[in-house]
Amino acid sequence: MNYILHLIIIIGIYLILTLSLNLVVGFGGLLSLCHAVFYGIGAYATTLLMLKAGFGFVTSVISAVLITGTFSLAIGVPALRFRGDPFVLVTLGFQTIIFTIMYNWIGLTRGPYGIPGIPRPSIAGYQITTLPEYLFLTYIFLVMVAIIIVVIYKSPFGMALKALRDDEMAAEGLGKSPFYFFLAAFVIAGMIASIAGSLYATYVTYIDPTSFTLDESIFLLVILLVGGAGNLKGPIVGTIFMILLPEALRFLGLPDTVAPNVRQILYGLVIVILMFFRPQGIAGEFKLK
Amino acid sequence: MTLLAQLLLNALCNAATYSLLAIGFGLFYRSLRFFNIGFGAVYVVTSYAVITASQALGLPLFVSIPSGLIFAGLVSVLMDKLIFHPLDKHGSSSGVLLVASLGIYIAIINLIALIFGNEIKILSKGMEPSYSLGSLIITRIQIIQILVGWLTTILFWLAIRKNTLIKAIWAMGKVPELIRALGLPYNQMRAIVFFLSALFAGLASIATSFDVGFDPHVGMGALLTGAVAVIVGGVDIYWGWICGASLIAFLQAIGVWLFSAKWNELITFALLIITLLLRPHGIFSQKRRAEEK
Repeated sequence: MNYILHLIIIIGIYLILTLSLNLVVGFGGLLSLCHAVFYGIGAYATTLLMLKAGFGFVTSVISAVLITGTFSLAIGVPALRFRGDPFVLVTLGFQTIIFTIMYNWIGLTRGPYGIPGIPRPSIAGYQITTLPEYLFLTYIFLVMVAIIIVVIYKSPFGMALKALRDDEMAAEGLGKSPFYFFLAAFVIAGMIASIAGSLYATYVTYIDPTSFTLDESIFLLVILLVGGAGNLKGPIVGTIFMILLPEALRFLGLPDTVAPNVRQILYGLVIVILMFFRPQGIAGEFKLK
Repeated sequence: MTLLAQLLLNALCNAATYSLLAIGFGLFYRSLRFFNIGFGAVYVVTSYAVITASQALGLPLFVSIPSGLIFAGLVSVLMDKLIFHPLDKHGSSSGVLLVASLGIYIAIINLIALIFGNEIKILSKGMEPSYSLGSLIITRIQIIQILVGWLTTILFWLAIRKNTLIKAIWAMGKVPELIRALGLPYNQMRAIVFFLSALFAGLASIATSFDVGFDPHVGMGALLTGAVAVIVGGVDIYWGWICGASLIAFLQAIGVWLFSAKWNELITFALLIITLLLRPHGIFSQKRRAEEK
């Protein structure tokens, strides 16, 4: 039972990540490879504020969102001058640079040693410790994020993003500035990813930089490519499919030494096959350009 | 000062290997205009093919190295024939090709990890002989790296200038439609691009594997070094790629001297981002009229 609760919590955290990345990938049409960095900054900022500055959980989450927002603005301004391959490369560059800093700035992040003993969240004096309580907390955040995201998806802002994605020049002709719209989407996505980081850090109570690598950014992108992007269904289908696939493989009786590789081989092949037959993913709306 | 001189000597060796990566990456990026992550997989395949031939099958190095290179070349051509070329014919965008290449990269790397394990392997047996140049030390494999890297770079430059087929391949990136219009064998030329690019990746891979070893995950770093060198130097300029590769190697050496080797990746990508921001077409690109772009 605990195992199932754990899986549902992890799915909740990943849904926050993929729904936010969907704003950039599915609505903006931009393949960003630095989403794990925002997830990581959120996790580290929350942890350090709680442990070093003695902040409470809620204040730490809000401050982490603002800190991550500043970082995503600083990354978005140079990155969004580019489209296509250069954009992918610049975001990948920032992913590598910030990961290197997280890994090597031992004085701040303790680098590869990680930070253990992160306190569990406490809200208005109520300490969250058990799995069902944590599940409740995660899904409260998820519902809040989902409401914000759905409002954005359906708002004139979301429509303008889609218009820019489909035909940047035509939308620009209608007075929509690609830079400001994409930048707003990029910063909002980063800020929301930070919430997932806060939840992850306080749930696992230990963080180290290896949870926020380039592979993690690729994994988040793959979830959207497999599930589909540009609507609400795609990220949900992708997240559930990609988180539950390894568990399904486990039931097939694959030994633990082989299972992670077999899983990755399957991910890889699924992506290639999708590119041939369904470039918009299983339930997505946006076709890669 | 001796330390700096030693680091610069090491940078000269790295520059030779990085140049091979840059030529390998630049070749298809310029000719076919898409970012092929599968290049990283081909890089890894070579070293594993060589180690299988030499250590498991017991073949001598002069047989196992060429067979490893040819095997990698065939994997690369097969990747194109089965995935990229059909997608291209289908009218897929460069984004779709990029993602498909990411998929095949993930699949191949994990297949290798499944067969050979994740631990670091090394091609050379025992200690590498080394030679002193005054207070500086150079190993045998470093001398081979310099010779192979720089000779290949010069030979390929001559090939671009003198050989008609290579010239046509070089021209392909500018006007791909022209290749078919001129009646040149487009499909074969594509296969040659993938084969040659794998050879360059393979040479770099073997040179590095003798020196510092390899594991299934080194391909992504190699791909990115090649890509950064090509973009920093300018996609259309052959010597720009080489200068880009050398710049990365020397900046990393200076980084090691001033700070520590752990910041190398940061230096590479900071170079990429700064170059893209200041000179989006590469350091050595020239100003072109709008109609030339």
